[in-house]
Amino acid sequence: MRMLIVFRKTMREILRDKWMLGLTLAFAPFFVFLYWLWFQGGSTVYPVAVINQDQGVTLPDGSVYNAGEQVSAAIQAVTYSDGRPLLKVIEAPDQAAAEPLLRDRKATAFLQIPPDFSQTILALQSGDRSVTTTLTFGGDLSNTYYMIGANLALTTADAYVQQATGQKPLVNYVERPLGASATRSEFETYVPGTLIFSIIMLIFLAAMTVAREIETGALRRLQLTPMTSFDLLGGITLALLLVGALASMLSFLVALALGFHSQGPVWIAVVVSVIASLSVIGLGLVVASLTRSVSQAFVVANFPMALMMFFSGVIFPMPAMTLFTIGGRSISPYDILPPTHAVVALNKILTLGAGLNDVAYELTALVSLSVLYFLFGVWLFRRMHLRSA
Amino acid sequence: MTSIVLQTQGITKRYGPLTAVKDLSLAVHEGEVFGLLGPNGAGKTTSINMLCGLLRPDAGQVSIRGKVITNGDAGVRSRVGVCPQEIVLWKTLTCVEQMQFLGELYGLKAAYVRQRSERLLRDLDLEEKRNALARTLSGGMQRRLNLAMALVHDPEILVLDEPEAGLDPQSRVLVREYVKSLARRKTIILTTHNMDEADRMADRIAILDHGQLLALDTPEALKRTVGEGDVLEIELQNDASEQARAALAPIVRDVSAANRALLIRARGVVDLLPAILAALSTAGARTGEVRLRANSLEDVFIAFTGRRLRE
Repeated sequence: MRMLIVFRKTMREILRDKWMLGLTLAFAPFFVFLYWLWFQGGSTVYPVAVINQDQGVTLPDGSVYNAGEQVSAAIQAVTYSDGRPLLKVIEAPDQAAAEPLLRDRKATAFLQIPPDFSQTILALQSGDRSVTTTLTFGGDLSNTYYMIGANLALTTADAYVQQATGQKPLVNYVERPLGASATRSEFETYVPGTLIFSIIMLIFLAAMTVAREIETGALRRLQLTPMTSFDLLGGITLALLLVGALASMLSFLVALALGFHSQGPVWIAVVVSVIASLSVIGLGLVVASLTRSVSQAFVVANFPMALMMFFSGVIFPMPAMTLFTIGGRSISPYDILPPTHAVVALNKILTLGAGLNDVAYELTALVSLSVLYFLFGVWLFRRMHLRSA
Repeated sequence: MTSIVLQTQGITKRYGPLTAVKDLSLAVHEGEVFGLLGPNGAGKTTSINMLCGLLRPDAGQVSIRGKVITNGDAGVRSRVGVCPQEIVLWKTLTCVEQMQFLGELYGLKAAYVRQRSERLLRDLDLEEKRNALARTLSGGMQRRLNLAMALVHDPEILVLDEPEAGLDPQSRVLVREYVKSLARRKTIILTTHNMDEADRMADRIAILDHGQLLALDTPEALKRTVGEGDVLEIELQNDASEQARAALAPIVRDVSAANRALLIRARGVVDLLPAILAALSTAGARTGEVRLRANSLEDVFIAFTGRRLRE
């Protein structure tokens, strides 16, 4: 009952702090919108600088055959499954002209086609297997887009050579995409991670809400009442959970409005988000227990926030690191971070169309972490701030 | 004889090497206004926190109506209402909302809390601000609301920490009158630096310093401990305090000197004034302003705690 009294009071405070509430609710939807703008609702286009030095060959009928131009056209024609362009050709006369493009990251890679390229292709067409030529490629290898741009350009050039020379491939490769992943735009693949943002941001609200009670001295006043720390933190957690659920739902709605399609049931994704919110709020309580003021809570909360952002697979996949295994599942240090499980579960549901049973492990892990962090937060809060009573 | 409501028996609190409160034993009677005086760092706040169960003593015990509260019994702690010196309010709640919140946390029925809140707000002249957010109230209003919050659950013991601090004269009178009206119906523990406030309001006063109880009695009895009668203060315009004291010895017994001023305590000191001034003149002391006042609690306070500045 007292927990509900605290819940009601906290909700009033949250609703009246319009800036904080607005920022918390708008954060993830804003990022969803930004990603949509970034990818123009689709996916990344990888620009490739093509240095076509092919001199071409004049055929007996008087026409000019330039294989380099055809490779360039083939690269430009590579698209995603929805028809949107995947590669973009930027023509460069020589390597000196291509280098600034690579340095400025206006091109992800370069492909240099030699002067004898057409001649070699024609010789191969006629069955002369003694000839060969060299396509040179490269770029800034520290550019994360380099591998994709260079690889796609080379694969396209190779496909052209095979088709133009009638060379049968030595090995056939067949791609089998997992779930509906082949049909996902890059914008859609980023949506689960963006949704996690809204959950991670709750750590600030949780830590600062509790720290305010300490800083203003209100905690002392509350200590004189029969209210327990469980009532106080439980009431605050319930209020924040509501805000977290609202933020997640808003993010989903914005994503759906911008063309996102969920492959699995959205309600399961919402359940995952809410439980993940609970565990992040629990972490916020731990942070608040270690601080005595709102500004301290804000500063300290940055540490777990950064851990959750960069070490839970939200932004980029984490390398495998097994501490031990339970029931055949390897447990890594990242598993203590709630977003690790949330991002896997959301990817499974939203991208691969998974159902409740498919994310049972992640849900169990999230529930366990939520209970663990909440109870640890209550214990620590009592020890750090209420022990003297 | 009134019964003892709150009692401490040898309570001690240490913070590392510092002993904030040492072996403090007090008994506060039902319906009395009990003043707790002491310079900064004397141990008043630590004592108050132990009295209301917010702080566990390292030794000794505190009991309310005979029931020990050091076990953290919230039911016993609920009998105490604390009005802290700092304004402790939830700034984005209205006056009524925060009283309702606190009252319900004490387990009181919503309707009762509403009724009681309205009454307290009326008594403390905050009725018109009942639906105003606390952050929009003036400093004086916030202080009055701070007091109302301490009373929302109708506690048996009310602890007031510097209740008149930060109040304008009108609010000060209002709060003083209100606290006076509570006296006898509630037991009030008052900590203050304002000696006049303590003199006017307290039935008994305890003086603490360095965590120890130095004196405990009624204001009048305490004043008697530093001398009978009135106090005459005479400023000296030259450095002749020693000669002045020697010259006055045959006329008055209690003469002290500090900062080029003489403090003379004696019964019927007004009648002795011509003789005093003549003796000073003969001794070569040039006199400045002459003030006559009644013996005050401040004299008691300084006599017990000294003139040395505290942090």
